[in-house]
Amino acid sequence: MLLFRSEEHIDRWCKHRVLPRGATVTLEQCWQLAREWYADKLSPTWRRKTLDEAQAVFTQIGLNGPFWGFR
Amino acid sequence: MTQNHDHLVRMFVFGETAKKGRVPAASEIADGLHLSIDDTHAALNRLAAGRVLVLAPGTTNIWMANPFSGVPTPFRVLAKGGTYFGNCIWDALGILAILDADGTVETTCGDCGDPIALEVRSGTLARSAGVVHFAVPAARWWDNIGYT
Repeated sequence: MLLFRSEEHIDRWCKHRVLPRGATVTLEQCWQLAREWYADKLSPTWRRKTLDEAQAVFTQIGLNGPFWGFR
Repeated sequence: MTQNHDHLVRMFVFGETAKKGRVPAASEIADGLHLSIDDTHAALNRLAAGRVLVLAPGTTNIWMANPFSGVPTPFRVLAKGGTYFGNCIWDALGILAILDADGTVETTCGDCGDPIALEVRSGTLARSAGVVHFAVPAARWWDNIGYT
């Protein structure tokens, strides 16, 4: 997951590498994702999220659709 | 017993990396936990199989203890007076989340290479610029986690 200055820079990067465009998220969404995913990882009781739990995090942040589906 | 080793190794790896900004070597883990090197390697391999961390191919060297990177990357994080490296922009922000700290992410635009700095203060993004691009759909992230 890379950061780009703008959508135009993503288009140029994809074109240059002959890659299909993936999905974009705002930095605010990425920050929410970072907190949901990692805030408790130093805890002794931490465990990996189940697929359903991970999917629920995406939904909560507004990441919906086939690109964000784990199955 | 193996579950207990896995728990100890996980706590040691993430705790040490959070403190020092670099992932420990297997020998340091073994010494720190008074485990045999074989038991340490076995625990690291099980943790990697469970996707708790990622080992460099064919070794027991920790490549990623997500969100931390075991090697320098273009996602540099300054926090708590130290320097850390994230595996990607998500993980760079994840380092500030796991440390529960104010800090700065220094990275560059994936296309043009211009520097971009982000800042987190009191749990919020105080300075941000740019758009995050996920090239790989979620269902395929672990096909090649290094590329993802």
